[in-house]
Amino acid sequence: MKREIDARGLACPEPVMLAKKAIDEGGNCVIVVDNEAARDNVCRMAKSQGCTAKVEEGEGIFSVYITAGGESIKSKETAPSIGPTVVVFPSDRMGHGDDELGEILIRGFLYALGEVSPKPDTLIFFNAGVKLAVQGSEVLEDLNSLEEKGITLLVCGTCLDFYGLKEKLGAGIISNMYDIAETMLSAGKVIRI
Amino acid sequence: MTSENSYLVALFHSTSGALMAEKLFKREGIAHKIIPVPRHISSDCGVSLRFFASERERVEATLAGKVDIQNICPL
Repeated sequence: MKREIDARGLACPEPVMLAKKAIDEGGNCVIVVDNEAARDNVCRMAKSQGCTAKVEEGEGIFSVYITAGGESIKSKETAPSIGPTVVVFPSDRMGHGDDELGEILIRGFLYALGEVSPKPDTLIFFNAGVKLAVQGSEVLEDLNSLEEKGITLLVCGTCLDFYGLKEKLGAGIISNMYDIAETMLSAGKVIRI
Repeated sequence: MTSENSYLVALFHSTSGALMAEKLFKREGIAHKIIPVPRHISSDCGVSLRFFASERERVEATLAGKVDIQNICPL
């Protein structure tokens, strides 16, 4: 039996929330809405949950017929990325291939990080990546301006020591493997460059 | 519009052109920065060299006959 949910006259995001609740409770349902934005949002949400959505229109009223997908709905859900975004720099270049190109790319990337949004919360530098954060680095200016924007820069102390660069740190704070591991594990998203 | 501190970007036909230009900039001591080609100029994935507008003549003279500049645009 189909359940019918009347979401007419409700403001966004209520129709979507009602539809989501109905899908979570299982089975098929019909959501009735009275505007195109709500219709589109409900359809999109249904598809993101692995369901199919069909729309019937009449006199400014849209009936969205939602049919649960074959697969378990729960398994379709992707983990939300709640928590900080962390970008890690294991190298002083971006990608593998040509070293000179990789150096240009990382300079472009760090410049772009300052220009785009959303911004990451933390940058972590280790192994040769620490060379980006020391005096004489071409990207020092970019890193300093990211710090001014409130982004945390963790620089691996072991690595600075290994390369003999501890005295030359020009951006970020010297960090240890416990901080680095904790920051990665409590992140919503870790992006490796 | 062209104040002392405003920036221009030099675009090149290739990434290697931009790299060669950067080497010449370094040799001449021209303050510059390698940046991705700004979106409002082109959606291509390329790199460009940003420099102070006041350095335009020196930039052009430095690169003349060595690296072909595709275009110079305001940032």
